[in-house]
Amino acid sequence: MLQTLALIQRSAEDPQRVAALARRQERELRGWLAGGDSREQGGRLAGALESAAAEVEAAAGGTVEVVAVGDCPLDEPARAVLGAAREAMLNAAKFAGQAPVSVYAELSDERIAVFVRDRGAGFDPATVPPGRRGVRESIVGRMRRAGGSATVRALPGGGTEVEIAIDRGSRP
Amino acid sequence: MSDASGPVPQVVIVDDHDLFRAGVRASLGPRVEVVAESGDVEGAVCVIEELEPDVVLLDVHMPGGGGEEVIRRLGASRPAVRFLALSVSDAAEDVIALIRAGARGYVTKTISGPELADAVCRVRDGDAVFSPRLAGFVLDAFAGEIPAEQVDPELDLLTPREREVLQHIARGYMYKEIAAQLGISAKTVEAHVSAVLRKLQLSSRHELTRWAVHRRLIEE
Repeated sequence: MLQTLALIQRSAEDPQRVAALARRQERELRGWLAGGDSREQGGRLAGALESAAAEVEAAAGGTVEVVAVGDCPLDEPARAVLGAAREAMLNAAKFAGQAPVSVYAELSDERIAVFVRDRGAGFDPATVPPGRRGVRESIVGRMRRAGGSATVRALPGGGTEVEIAIDRGSRP
Repeated sequence: MSDASGPVPQVVIVDDHDLFRAGVRASLGPRVEVVAESGDVEGAVCVIEELEPDVVLLDVHMPGGGGEEVIRRLGASRPAVRFLALSVSDAAEDVIALIRAGARGYVTKTISGPELADAVCRVRDGDAVFSPRLAGFVLDAFAGEIPAEQVDPELDLLTPREREVLQHIARGYMYKEIAAQLGISAKTVEAHVSAVLRKLQLSSRHELTRWAVHRRLIEE
């Protein structure tokens, strides 16, 4: 924390860096205030998604806001979702510009659904940058192999939403 | 999303961090008029009683009781004043307690200036303002099962449509986008959100009650 404050002072000329530092510190402090609860340590998906968002913010800049309803253990299907969601977040953060990336997760023992949306400039599917298409296929492919699904939608108002889902219903 | 109509709303900012108040004031721009700021509960109550602003931007956590204490001290004495919670606080129980005390919504401090100005105007017009995080809290609070004989369907359950609207808010959709997605008008989206706010304030659902008790809200 003190170190971050020092960094902020030294980076005062660089507002984006200051924002990123403050943001990271906020997240850490918040995690600490929450008492390092089960979400952080107990191998649960909600906490893992938060951590992934923090990593993506550190790597790609910008803001990734996670809202999770419910929780579930970090087992195999949950890990598949986590990997795909992290990739979707990273991709979204690159295209989001200044607007935050929204991540919404509905987690239960029966089913996991995660939505990752950015507000990047709207795009025409025919002219998707090749890099972006590759990432897209990798997210879809990853989920298909895991027995789930991933859908990518271009939103009319601009931006993209990736919906990642898997049923856990048949598991004990 | 309704654009500001009518006169510029008068706003009081209540937050114990000087720097943050200055930042909010600067980011709000000309669409609202900041008539006063206060850094503590006592000062906030005085200034709100004196100035009767349209909207009070209220921090959840402050020395001396926080936003909830401000609303409770004012009681019903200033019914025209509307409150919007603005905080970094992540604790669901604190945010829900403030809503149950009477705030018309909750936005996180990462909100952009123009969005905040828009939220202020909507609250002034009597609408409810839900951020993605608040939508998540509400979905969580209404998710648990409660014994059927205790359910008041008017207050204790969300309709499928209300749930759908909240899920879209949590996904980061704006009201206008939700309306387009669900094939309803923006006014109808607004009506659903206001209905949810009412349930949030009046439901005696187990989870909400537990939170309220936890925060010593219910003492009688």
